[in-house]
Amino acid sequence: MAEVTASKQTENNTQRTLQIVVFKLGQEEYGLRIDQIKEVVITPNITKMPQTPHYVKGVANIRGNVIAIFDLEERFNLQRTETQLSGKRYTLVVESEDLKMGLLVNEVPNTISVNANDLDESVGIIADANAEVNYIKGIIKTGERLIILIDIFKVVDQELTTNLKKATAA
Amino acid sequence: MSNKEEEYKEIFLAEALENFEEINRLLTVLEKSRSDKNTVHALFRITHTLKGNAAGMGYTGIAEMAHVLEDLFGEVREGKIILDESLFGSLFKAADTLGALVNSVRDGKEVKYKGIKTKLEVIVKRANEDKVKEVIEEKQENPVGLETSVQSPFVPEAIGVGNQPSDEEESESPDESDNKLSFSDLVQVPVRKLDNLLNLVGELIIEKDRILASRAASGLQGSNEYARLSRISSDLQYSVMDVRLVQVGFLFNKFHRVVRDAATIEKKNVVLKLEGTDTEIDRNVLQVISDSLIHIVRNSVGHGIESPEERLAASKPKEGTVWLTARGETDAVIIEIKDDGKGLNYDRIKSKAIAKGLVTEEDVSRMTTDELSLLIFEPGFSTMDQVTAIAGRGVGMDVVRKTLDTIGGEIKVISEPGVGTTIQLTLPSSMAVKSCLLFELKDEVYAIPLAYTESVISLYRSDIHKAGGGLVASHLGKNISIVFLKDVFDYDPTVIGQSNNALQKTHDLVHPEEKLDIVVVSFNNRTVGFVVDKLLQQKEIVEKPLMKPVDKIKFIGGVTILGSGNVCLVLNVPFILHFIFSLSSHGRASKNFSLN
Repeated sequence: MAEVTASKQTENNTQRTLQIVVFKLGQEEYGLRIDQIKEVVITPNITKMPQTPHYVKGVANIRGNVIAIFDLEERFNLQRTETQLSGKRYTLVVESEDLKMGLLVNEVPNTISVNANDLDESVGIIADANAEVNYIKGIIKTGERLIILIDIFKVVDQELTTNLKKATAA
Repeated sequence: MSNKEEEYKEIFLAEALENFEEINRLLTVLEKSRSDKNTVHALFRITHTLKGNAAGMGYTGIAEMAHVLEDLFGEVREGKIILDESLFGSLFKAADTLGALVNSVRDGKEVKYKGIKTKLEVIVKRANEDKVKEVIEEKQENPVGLETSVQSPFVPEAIGVGNQPSDEEESESPDESDNKLSFSDLVQVPVRKLDNLLNLVGELIIEKDRILASRAASGLQGSNEYARLSRISSDLQYSVMDVRLVQVGFLFNKFHRVVRDAATIEKKNVVLKLEGTDTEIDRNVLQVISDSLIHIVRNSVGHGIESPEERLAASKPKEGTVWLTARGETDAVIIEIKDDGKGLNYDRIKSKAIAKGLVTEEDVSRMTTDELSLLIFEPGFSTMDQVTAIAGRGVGMDVVRKTLDTIGGEIKVISEPGVGTTIQLTLPSSMAVKSCLLFELKDEVYAIPLAYTESVISLYRSDIHKAGGGLVASHLGKNISIVFLKDVFDYDPTVIGQSNNALQKTHDLVHPEEKLDIVVVSFNNRTVGFVVDKLLQQKEIVEKPLMKPVDKIKFIGGVTILGSGNVCLVLNVPFILHFIFSLSSHGRASKNFSLN
């Protein structure tokens, strides 16, 4: 496996720990760096937007800010269980310098600290053929859990912009 | 009216005081590093500005003083005057006098300034003479100056008779205001802070609506308790909006130069006349349209006004006139750019539009002059065969149109051959609050700005007929295009070949006897009826811009939060209309037959 090469790479930052917010999408656990997360709220009423990709659920009012709400399960085409289909109860608000948006999750995400050693950034993941940028930053293995660390802004940025351009070009 | 003058005066004072302080600061800088060209440039610019402002306000003293300083720094800049100790003395004295003059505007005190002014004038004059004379002569002159000062003990009063003719007057003038620090009554606030304030007020209003809605829902109606809250919050809102209003004069006054420059390059004689300069408009609107206005004015000079020879031949005054007028209406400000030139040449527009492939020959024959006029705002259109430096290269007028679309402004062109052209811009007086009509579509609430809505009608589906790729209905004897908004929103540009019937989809699904609510909107001569699911009430909303990444959805211009806390989308009517009409013209191009 690629682990051999990975452990060499991460040797220099042995003592660092990473704070990861973990949430479940489909059958898998996904993680985001904690500094990208602003808050977790109960999903408010979502207003649908026309001409958006199917995984953009619409916009919602969160503390006076109107932000876009995404469903990553639809985005990643993940299988869903019965309970997941019944309703997304929480919204994870993520924020970068120029972007702010909400991600739908089924349960309150939990935060874990992992050793930087456990993050394997060089996994040769078979990337989505359509994706220009690989949004998977690495795989975290702690105990029995396997967490997929993603860069949420890469997920959204690239294809949403291209998708929307197509929509408005007509 | 006097109120307005007061306001002007206050603004002038604030600027003048600022200029004065800047002059003082720059002078001290200059004294330390005398060869600093940049400082001299800056001083020249500031005195020039001050002169202009003061002359505009009719304060001759300040204007004259600033004028002589400007001249002096002009000469310094050219290197004709060398800065030395004694000159700095005079300069600081002059600056103090200027300060005193500015203060006198406020307190009405009389300030003597002629002395120092004349002194500086002499310095400037001498510098100019020196330029003509030989260098040797200049050297000769200096000893003369020295001589007089050597001789001075005999006649103390006559110090420097040669260069300070009215010395006595001058000696009294400064000092009084020397050590007083003055503060302006105006506070300069960055627009960003105002925007923030308005945002907060917007949220307050939304919150107020929410409280009122929840009370109404719980059945506790008719109480006066919230009347005060309503009144105060709406007063607050209007006060904040008022702060953002500026007079169009501030923008208009900059056009004297624009017209002059344009006319010089085109070798035409053009004067600019301003009217209604005290009309108030939201500062942001003014900022957005300023470039467009420059473009239109240049076009008027470049394309509208004829050359002096042509004008004389047409027995018009040699000098062309461009008018910039503004007037306020209830919810809008109308700005007109009018020229007394040759007017639009419709035949040229027709042939040009056909040549450029913008319209077909068949279309042209059916178009009204209003529609023809609007063709000049199409991308890539330019009637001038020759590209001139002024009026650009056929880009620009379409940008003007786009800019106006973004703020919901409208363009109208009125032209009479040989008499002139008027371009009328209807602009929203404020971008923050909009009256909107709320409606429901697919269980979501949308808002449509009242500025675009013409009427609301109700028709049976059987009244709506298919025509070409679209739908039409007649209402009050007029045929209008009908569009199911649902079809527009669901339109999928990636599916090829569907464009022909995409706008008829919902029509087929609806029962013929069903009554449909239709909002008739119009923008720039395009009228369309939008079929919606259900009409709700009319409401004043505070529009917020869309945030990234959904800000690229052009169908939606912004959002607002309803009393329920839900988000309501505000339609971008200009874009939707543009979209619909571009669809129909695509269809026409591919199938080679025309709609309507």
